[in-house]
Amino acid sequence: MNLDKVFTDALDQVKLWARLNSPWAVHFNSGSCNGCDIEILATLTPRYDVERFGIKLQGSPRHADVLICTGPVTRQARERLLRVYEQMPEPKFVIAVGSCGISGGVFDGCYNVVGCIDKVIPVDVYVPGCPPRPEAIIDGVVKLLGKLQGAAAPKPAAAPESSKAEVVHDPA
Amino acid sequence: MTPLDPNQVKERSEALLQSAKTVLGSWAAAIAAPAPNRIDVTLTPDDLERAVSTLVTARWGYLAAITGLDIGVTSGMLEVLYHFCSDAVIVTLRVQIPRENPAVPSICDKIPYADLYERELMEMFGITVTNTPSPTRLFVAEDWPEGVFPLRKDAPVQEPTIRA
Amino acid sequence: MQTQETEKKFIFPIGPQHPALKEPGHFEFTVDGEVVTAATVRLGYVHRGIEKAVETRNWVQNLYLLERVCGICSHIHATAYCLGVEQLAGVSAPPRAQAIREVISEMERIHSHLLWLGVAAHEAGFDTLFMYAWRDRETIMNLLEELSGNRVHYSANVLGGVKFDISPEQAASIRKGMDFLEGRTCHYIEEVLHDPALLERTQGIGTTTREQAEQWGIVGPTARASGVARDIRVDAPYGGYVQFPVEMVIDTAGDLLARFTVRLKELLECYRVVRTILENLPAGDLTVRMPRRIKAGETISRVEAPRGELFYFLKSNGTDTPERIKVRTPSICNWESVLKLAIGHQLADMPMLLVGIDPCFSCSDRMVIVNRGHDNASPWTWEQLRQYGIAFYKNARRGQ
Repeated sequence: MNLDKVFTDALDQVKLWARLNSPWAVHFNSGSCNGCDIEILATLTPRYDVERFGIKLQGSPRHADVLICTGPVTRQARERLLRVYEQMPEPKFVIAVGSCGISGGVFDGCYNVVGCIDKVIPVDVYVPGCPPRPEAIIDGVVKLLGKLQGAAAPKPAAAPESSKAEVVHDPA
Repeated sequence: MTPLDPNQVKERSEALLQSAKTVLGSWAAAIAAPAPNRIDVTLTPDDLERAVSTLVTARWGYLAAITGLDIGVTSGMLEVLYHFCSDAVIVTLRVQIPRENPAVPSICDKIPYADLYERELMEMFGITVTNTPSPTRLFVAEDWPEGVFPLRKDAPVQEPTIRA
Repeated sequence: MQTQETEKKFIFPIGPQHPALKEPGHFEFTVDGEVVTAATVRLGYVHRGIEKAVETRNWVQNLYLLERVCGICSHIHATAYCLGVEQLAGVSAPPRAQAIREVISEMERIHSHLLWLGVAAHEAGFDTLFMYAWRDRETIMNLLEELSGNRVHYSANVLGGVKFDISPEQAASIRKGMDFLEGRTCHYIEEVLHDPALLERTQGIGTTTREQAEQWGIVGPTARASGVARDIRVDAPYGGYVQFPVEMVIDTAGDLLARFTVRLKELLECYRVVRTILENLPAGDLTVRMPRRIKAGETISRVEAPRGELFYFLKSNGTDTPERIKVRTPSICNWESVLKLAIGHQLADMPMLLVGIDPCFSCSDRMVIVNRGHDNASPWTWEQLRQYGIAFYKNARRGQ
């Protein structure tokens, strides 16, 4: 029995468990109108409270597992986006939030805009919407965790409470 | 502060329009009234500083915006509009300049906050604003090619890549 | 922008990402000890080329484009645009549509001011207030969603009117929401005026006199906090504001505390106006017919966005595509004031000064370069500057 391999496998399992249970995310705005950004911020606030799922939004790319990116990537933001992505340690994942990040949205064809995030960095999950609801954004993160696990997306431990449950928009 | 009723607004606007015409009217090239609350004053670039000084000294309103206009490649001209507002009245100073080597004087010595507007004018239209305090790019990327002015009509236009 | 010639080293930050500050940015502060001696701004990270894009889209498509200049104040951009196009076409939206536009504008102002309150509290390290403000903001988000179907970018406007009506049931919901929020806002006013930690960071800080405010071209609640009586809704009433006027809220102190109180009192005025309109909603159509090709001409449309005067210049050449649209957002007016104000203040006050003008993130830049004159350069992120400010004041309170 290769003890080293047993040890490294066990360590990988712990890391995966930590990543799945407490993904640290960094947020980057590559030129968005801020609609998506305020909805991302709303996920931290008491109504959605994403931190109870272990998702932590914090400032430095060096400590992040996940990059949540919005915006159609302006020329100036492109270099900064690449730098942020490079600073993240492996394994790293990217969620593109909003129509602008997916296709350029209404800014498709504008002269100062690259167009979509996956022209600059590889994207794992796309969350469409203009802007997507906070529930949709959380769903995007949960789907990413499912991808990490290599299985179908698990149901979240406790669904976010919405005071207007009948108005939930289908994030798919 | 209690809001004015529409008649009071109208009276105040008329008084303001009159005072603007008095202040500028004696030597401006042309004054047009495109709307009940607006006048357009056409000036040469040389008269611009004097006009702005006059408005500032008379404390007539405030500079709301500076608009650059490309009135067409065939016309051979560009136009710069300086919008001054006081309550509901807008006085627009209009200056036309040739497309080749377009230049207007800076008004920052009289209106310091005009510098961001002047920077935008320079990078979007290629208009030289002489003596502007910080002639660096404001909105356009550092790696944007020199000599390409996005808001000119003859600047290359990107078509949307996705069509319905 | 004054600079001093010194042998100082630049400290470059890695990046501007922070959850509460949703925008990439670029401020440069030169400091001597604790005091800022120079400040400059580099905008452009959110520059998308909208003024060029409008020239290749028709009048209807541009409505959806211009709404997205800013996610926080999308309705007011659309309103300014629609008013301008309607003026060019020589039509006027029906009274019911104008009243509904005003209701949505005021509700947008409510959401924007509550958002700002949370962000400003966060900058001061007062995260509890941030969470409460954003929790309460969910009430207005629900109401906007109930009316329009979307929490952000409600797309209430169409050229010539509005897209949806307000039913009696929705009006009842809105009234309930206004009552709840009014109670909460009164509580926040008490908090802001009496919480010692917040007072320390706002009272007497960033004081701008009326003359300075006029000289620097400040607009919006920031200007009104310095006694400048300028509010487009009052000075040049447009749309529904002729029938349903608002009162201007002014303060003369000119400091950060005044900026807090002006915005909070404006919220109270918003609740009052929304209730008044709902009780007296004019009957009639929601839209008026608009031609596809808009008559040639030029017009100017000015409205009061949550941050100040929003200025639109529109030029039509008689076709179905605009010739030129110029958008002058309120935040660009207020940047200059921050740069001038920063000089002489402490570095620890910078986050609060910046948030005091309520920068519309879609034209703001938030990367910080701090020039400290030390030999060892270390990167500063916005979060570091914010934490620096919080720690500075905490230590000052402890008397260290």
